[in-house]
Amino acid sequence: MSQVLATYNIKGGVGKTSAAVNLATLAAHGGDQTLLWDLDPQGASTYLFRVKPKIKGGGAKLVRGKTDADGQIKGTDTEGLDLLPADFSYRHMDLALDGAKTNRLDRVIKPLSEYRYVFLDCPPSISLVSENVFEAADALLVPIIPATLSSRTLDQLHEVLNSDAKVLGFFSMADRRKKLHRELMEELGREHDVLETVIPNSADVERMGAERAALVDFAPRSRAARAYADLWTEIRERL
Amino acid sequence: MEVVTHVLPEGADLPSAKASLAEHLDVRADRATSGTTTFYDTFDGRLHAAGLTLRHSGTELVLLDRETGATLASAAAPAAKRLFDRDLPEALRARLAPEMEMRALLPVAKVRTHRLPLAVLNGDAKTVVRLELTTADNGTRGRVTATAVRGYEAEIERVRATLAETLALPEATVPLVDEAIAAAGGDPAGTSSKLALTLDPDEPASLAAATVFGRLLEVIDLNLPGTLDDVDSEFLHDLRVAIRRTRSLQRQFKGVYPERLQHFRDEFKRLQAVTGDLRDLDVYLLDFPELRDSLPEKMRADLDPLRDVLEQRRVKALTATRRALRAQRTGDALAEWNEFVTSRRPSDRTVSDLASHRITRVYRKMVKMGRAIDDDSPAYDLHELRKVGKELRYLLEFFASLYPPEIVKPFVKTLKGLQDQLGRFQDREVQANALRDLAPAVKGHPFTLMAMGVLIERFMQEEIAARAEFADRFAVFASKAQRDVVKEHFG
Ligand SMILES: Nc1ncnc2c1ncn2[C@@H]1O[C@H](COP(=O)(O)OP(=O)(O)O)[C@@H](O)[C@H]1O
Ligand SMILES: [Mg+2]
Repeated sequence: MSQVLATYNIKGGVGKTSAAVNLATLAAHGGDQTLLWDLDPQGASTYLFRVKPKIKGGGAKLVRGKTDADGQIKGTDTEGLDLLPADFSYRHMDLALDGAKTNRLDRVIKPLSEYRYVFLDCPPSISLVSENVFEAADALLVPIIPATLSSRTLDQLHEVLNSDAKVLGFFSMADRRKKLHRELMEELGREHDVLETVIPNSADVERMGAERAALVDFAPRSRAARAYADLWTEIRERL
Repeated sequence: MEVVTHVLPEGADLPSAKASLAEHLDVRADRATSGTTTFYDTFDGRLHAAGLTLRHSGTELVLLDRETGATLASAAAPAAKRLFDRDLPEALRARLAPEMEMRALLPVAKVRTHRLPLAVLNGDAKTVVRLELTTADNGTRGRVTATAVRGYEAEIERVRATLAETLALPEATVPLVDEAIAAAGGDPAGTSSKLALTLDPDEPASLAAATVFGRLLEVIDLNLPGTLDDVDSEFLHDLRVAIRRTRSLQRQFKGVYPERLQHFRDEFKRLQAVTGDLRDLDVYLLDFPELRDSLPEKMRADLDPLRDVLEQRRVKALTATRRALRAQRTGDALAEWNEFVTSRRPSDRTVSDLASHRITRVYRKMVKMGRAIDDDSPAYDLHELRKVGKELRYLLEFFASLYPPEIVKPFVKTLKGLQDQLGRFQDREVQANALRDLAPAVKGHPFTLMAMGVLIERFMQEEIAARAEFADRFAVFASKAQRDVVKEHFG
């Protein structure tokens, strides 16, 4: 069975997609068959992999089992890493999931057992989609920006969490030179179980949009790329 | 994923091959690498037979499908001189162990290769087909391999057309590994110790026998170096089978050789004797993991001192066997035997006549012996029957080509059914006795002795169970139908 890892945060712009793309790429580099399902109708990770954001028949048919997920998967530039693309229709995913007796995301993922890891790149929200994700995932990877309000993120998540998925928070876009960042990370680290690896704020990560590739591929020696590698090692130890 | 491989023009190197591809396809080159590629197989080519290719390059062992070149498994591993299943990384062991069994994987070809991975891109600069250019320093032609990318399967057709039609590169029909082995002077299918003889029924018996004996000598020669180097246990096994088969045919065809045969019979008997201890110890050691696992969990480790004893004894047996096989006397005996069988004058009797006669005689002897066996017969009687059964088995193997396969095959199958039962019966007794004989060697280890006791008890139970099957197996072997077949086709 695959191990399902979802990058999740109720907020957007915190580094979910950047983490999903780099971690999935690292998993494939390690020799494990890996799939990334871009669940965000914005299709940011689909764009980074240069794949067309299109699911035949739309997201509703896919999660209802009317479209075979297998036939929609695309290989990426990285060997061993495949993508189940985003589709604009995913913005109505809640409707497609509503009223179902079973977890429909789970039903799509289960048969894809050839993959050792399945990453879910989630849209920012609390919705039926996230409820389905919580159930389907073995772990939630939660990027946290060390800013005042972000510290509530993990508390809120535990309030809505309906499953026994592991919650692995990690600091994202952090700047150790900023006193506020250091203080917040220390404080949050005391109150919550947060991973040790910190993804630094770095222009290299931003370049992914222009390069349309994973940072760990086009600048593997950069500080941020090495941080993703450490993060992946730490996550695997915690699974 | 679909894979197609085409052959590059004579003398093409990576830059020139890439340049000509780039004229017709939008490609992005990755980093070129050079390295030594080592191909592995067992001496008898088991991976080849199973449609597999195992290759080491860089720091990785990669298992490929022979036909398609698709990767089946890979793992980091050094390029060892010899690999047993237990030495393989987990990812490869599961797939390879059942094919290899007790055999070692050996390097069958070593090639210095140069590789250039290329991506064929679409309008979004996205990889839609993966290419790999490979050239080798062994005089063989380079190759380009195209692998489809999931979800972009249609693109490989376009690439294939470019390679085959636009660039007129022929599709590769022989796997790279075969070319490499052939270039190194080997046979991609490995070295078989099977008889695989086709005889002419009207040939004089002495000449046909020379063909059989000649092939058996060849098998002995082929397996001698691996036996002396102690590569894996199968070399000695195949060597001994060839010796036993030789002795069997010497007995069955002794009428063809009025003089001096006894000398050679004595020499082959000696060869069988001087290799016997080593083979027995090989068998105990090969069976050891299974024996250990058959014990209750908490007794398993208790058996380990026995393995130490077996290993120590094997070291001694190997030295003795090597000395005997390397001795001048052995080399002389084999050379003289070759001379002896090839210089025979044609006998009056044809091979089909003599073979049929011997097969009938031995079959009838078995029927008679088997009928005399009842529940009270001593084990000895069953062992003797098995011995004669082996003679019949060998005769049917030597002379299979003289008879219709639809007669020989079911005959061998029936015989094998009986022999397997007799073998199980005897093996259990032999194993129980062997453990008894080994007991004094581990007398300082009471727990080991207890574990051995448990095994002996089990062997004795299985011996009884095997004996109970005898009547049924023998009834089929000696049935009226089978007797009629022998009468009609061999009588
Ligand atoms: N560690 C980082 N340092 C600097 N910029 C980052 C970092 N991580 C992400 N970004 C940038 O922030 C923006 C949002 O990141 P993204 O990974 O898409 O977040 P999300 O998926 O949570 O919306 C993107 O422009 C991205 O390049
Ligand atoms: Mg995103």
